[in-house]
Amino acid sequence: MTSANKPIRSARYGMTIDVDRCSGCGACIVACAVENNVPPAHEGATDRKGLTWIRVYKVDNGAEYPDRRTAFVPVMCQHCGNETPCVHVCPQQAVDIDPATGVVGEMPQRCLGCRYCMAACPYHARYFNWWDPAWPAGMEKTLNPGVTPRMRGVVEKCNLCHGRWHAAKEAAAAAGKPDTEPVEYTPACVEACPAGAIHFGDLNDPASVVAKEAAETESFRLLEKLNTQPKIYYRSRNSWVRQIAAAPRPGAGKEKNRG
Amino acid sequence: MNTTRRQVLMFAGGSAVGVLFTPAPWRLITDTALWSENWPGIPAPARGEIRTRFTNCPLCTAGCAVRARCVGDQPVELAGVGGHPFSRGALCPFGIVGHHLPYLPGRVKEGPVKEAAAAAADGIAKCRSSEFVATLDLRPGRTASWTYRRAMKAIKNGRYVAPSVDTQVAVDLSKARTVLSFGVPVLDGWGTPGNVNSARAGFRLIQIDPVESRTASMADRWLRVRPGSEDALAEALAGQIPHAAAADASGLTVSEIAALSKELEQNGPVLVLGSSQLESTAGTVVARRETPVPDEWKKAAPATALASLPDRSVRVLLIDESMPGGYLPWNAIARKLVADNPVVVTFACSREGYARHANYALPVGVYPEVAGDIPASIDSVAAAFRIAAPLVSPPHGTVNPEAFIAAAAGLSIGDTLRERADAIHKSGRGTLFTYADRKSQAVKIVTADDFWKALNAGGCWIDEPAAKASAARLTFAAPAQQQVEESELPLAIVVTRELAPGLPLLSKVYQESNLRLAPGRVALNPACGLEDGSPAVFETLLGKCSVGVTLDSGIPPGVVQVSGTPALLDLCGDGARAKVVRA
Repeated sequence: MTSANKPIRSARYGMTIDVDRCSGCGACIVACAVENNVPPAHEGATDRKGLTWIRVYKVDNGAEYPDRRTAFVPVMCQHCGNETPCVHVCPQQAVDIDPATGVVGEMPQRCLGCRYCMAACPYHARYFNWWDPAWPAGMEKTLNPGVTPRMRGVVEKCNLCHGRWHAAKEAAAAAGKPDTEPVEYTPACVEACPAGAIHFGDLNDPASVVAKEAAETESFRLLEKLNTQPKIYYRSRNSWVRQIAAAPRPGAGKEKNRG
Repeated sequence: MNTTRRQVLMFAGGSAVGVLFTPAPWRLITDTALWSENWPGIPAPARGEIRTRFTNCPLCTAGCAVRARCVGDQPVELAGVGGHPFSRGALCPFGIVGHHLPYLPGRVKEGPVKEAAAAAADGIAKCRSSEFVATLDLRPGRTASWTYRRAMKAIKNGRYVAPSVDTQVAVDLSKARTVLSFGVPVLDGWGTPGNVNSARAGFRLIQIDPVESRTASMADRWLRVRPGSEDALAEALAGQIPHAAAADASGLTVSEIAALSKELEQNGPVLVLGSSQLESTAGTVVARRETPVPDEWKKAAPATALASLPDRSVRVLLIDESMPGGYLPWNAIARKLVADNPVVVTFACSREGYARHANYALPVGVYPEVAGDIPASIDSVAAAFRIAAPLVSPPHGTVNPEAFIAAAAGLSIGDTLRERADAIHKSGRGTLFTYADRKSQAVKIVTADDFWKALNAGGCWIDEPAAKASAARLTFAAPAQQQVEESELPLAIVVTRELAPGLPLLSKVYQESNLRLAPGRVALNPACGLEDGSPAVFETLLGKCSVGVTLDSGIPPGVVQVSGTPALLDLCGDGARAKVVRA
C-alpha cells in the first residue's frame, strides 16, 4: 500500500551489456523465450519473421582475414526514454511507459497488429506474431504461469520481464517493504548469461552497477544521434564495435530461412 | 411511393458514413482484439503451487547445478545455481531448455522390449569363441558405465566399448597463462561454462581453426590454417619439423609461426588442447583422483576402443545413447558386426541416431525423468559426484538401459547410485555442497543417509585436492586422413559442435536468428556458387544426403562446415573431403 506522505521514487531500469564478453551462445534468447512463453519457431519463420524478444547479431569490422574481427551484439527493446517512437505512433494506446520503472510496455490485448510501431522502431526490436502460438504436444505444460501467451496478429517485444518485476513487487509487499521504493529483480536474459555480460539495475541509483558502467567512457548506446535516450547501454573496448552503434541494424541483410 | 435504386444507394452510403461517427466500429475493432486474446487455440499455462527444486544437468559432462522453478511437480524454468563453487550459476542454452526434452517431437515412446531381450539373449547364447558381445557407452565414467563394464565382465567374450575419453585426466585453467587450442571449442561447449568464463581473464587464448568458429571469433588471437594441417603446425612449434614445412602445409607464414613459437615460450605456462604433438606445460594438465566405487565393482571389464575389435566380430551390440554424448559414425560400427544376423539394440530417446540402423530401438527415460550421475568434466581438477535427480515421472513403457544390460548378462544389481554414494561417503574424502543453502560441509560430519538425501535434493560431492597433483597427458584422436583426390571431392570438412537433438526452442538460435548452424545444413563460402538457403546434396566417399546451404563469409573457400547431426556425421566418418552440389 502506498504511503500518502512519502513520494514514490521512480526507478529507471536499464542494462549494460559488455559486448566484449558476449560469446553469442544464445542462452539469453532461449531463456527469454522460456520466461515469456514465446513459442518455438513456426516452420515458415525466418530471421525476419521470427519471434525473439532479444536477438543476438553477429557483426564484424568488414575486414578480411587476418584483420577480421567479430563481435556479438544482443539487441532487445531499448526502452527509449525520450520521444519513444512506438508510443507515439500506436493508434490503440497499446504501448506505454511505466512512470514507476521507465519500462516501455506492450499490451497485446489492445494491439491491432497494424505494425506502425515496428515501422517506427529504429532498433528493429519489435516482432509481429505471424502465427498462432503453438508448442509441441505436452510442452504446453512447461509454460510459465506468470506470463500469458499472446495471440496471432499482435506485436510483441521485451518488457524487461514484467512478470518478474511484478513478482518482486508482491514479494516486497509481503515482506512489509514500502512500495515507494524500487524493487530489485533480475530479467531472465541477465540471469541466463553464462559469461555475465549483461547487468541490470536502476540507472537512477548512482550506486548501482549499471549506473556506474553506463557512465564509463567505453559505454555507448545504439543510434544515439536520434536522441531517443535508450536505457540499454553497451560497452566495448574496441572502437570498431562502438562505431556500429550508428548502423541502422546490426548484421542487416536479406531475409534468410535457416530452418 | 417508389424506391429508386439511387435512393437505396444514397441510404447505404449515408449509413456507412454516419456509422463512422458513432463509437460502434471503433468499439468493434477493440473488441476484436479482445476476442482474439481468448482463442481456445492459445494454450493456458498450468496452475499450481510454485516450488523450487534442485538437480544437476546431465546433458553434457559439465553437469551444471540447476535450480528448477516448478508448478506442482512440473518444471517450467531452469536456471543455474548462484554460488556454486564450479558451475558458478551458469547454464548453457541446451541446459536452459532441458525440461523440454521429455516432449521432444519424434521421441521414441515405445519399442519391442521383450523381443529385444529375447534376441539379445539368443545372440549371447549363439556367440562363438571368436565373436563378441559389446556394449557401446557414449557417456563413459558414469555409474551406469560401471554396470556395463561389470555386465561385460560377466559375459564370456563381453567387451565394454567407449569413445577414447580419459576420465582421470583434467586441465587446470587457473594455472595456464596461455591456452593454445587446435580447434577445440574452448568458449563454446567445452568444459564447464561457468568455470571457463571465470578463468577466462587469466589466460590468453590462441585458437588454431580453419573456420571462424565462435571460439575463434572470441579468442585473443585466431590463426586460420588449412584443414588437416594442425599436426604439422604443432610439430613445427615442438621443433620437430622446420617452420617452413609447417608454413607450406598450414597456409600461415614462417614469420607467423615463429612469432607464435616465441609467444608460447615467453608467456607460459601453456595449456595445449586438441593436439598430442605438443606438450602442455607441467601443472596445467593433472591426473584427477578417481571417484570412489565399491570394491567389488573394480573387477569390471576395461574399456576397449572400437577400432581394436576385429572386423565382423560383434554378434550382439547394445548401445546406450540415452544421454547426449559422443557419436561414432555408423560405418565404423557396422564393419565390426558379424555378417550373419547381428543383434543391435539401442536405447534412445530420438530416432535420429543409431535407431536408424538398429534392429531394436527401445524407449528410455530422459532428463529430468530419470536419475543418473555425471562424471567430473575435463576442466575440473577435483573429482566430483553429481546426481541428475528426476523432477517428473518417465512415461509408461520406458526401459532402464542399465537394468536391461545387467539382466542380459545375468548380473544382479541393486540401487547402484546409492551404492556409489555410500562408497564415496565411506571414503570420508571431500565436501558436500548443498544448493538450497549454498553451504559446504565436510563429508566426514554427514551421515550416509543425509549424504544420499542431499545428493538427490540438490547437492554435489567435490573431492578434496590431491596432496600433490601428479602430471598427466591429454590424448587426442588423430584427424582423419584425406584419401581422395581434391578434384573429386574439393571441400575439406569441418564439423561443428552438435546442438541438442531437435529441441524446439533452440530454433530461436538457428532459424529465427543466425547464431548457429541449423541441423541438416552446411555452411560454405559465399563464392561457392550456390545460393543461401538453397537445397543441395552433400556427398562424401561414404554416401550422400540432402542438406540446406548457408553462406558464411567466415568459412574460407575449399571448406565445408557441417552441423553435427548423426545423418551428416555418418557421412563424415573416414572421408575428410566432400562436395556439395545443387539439388
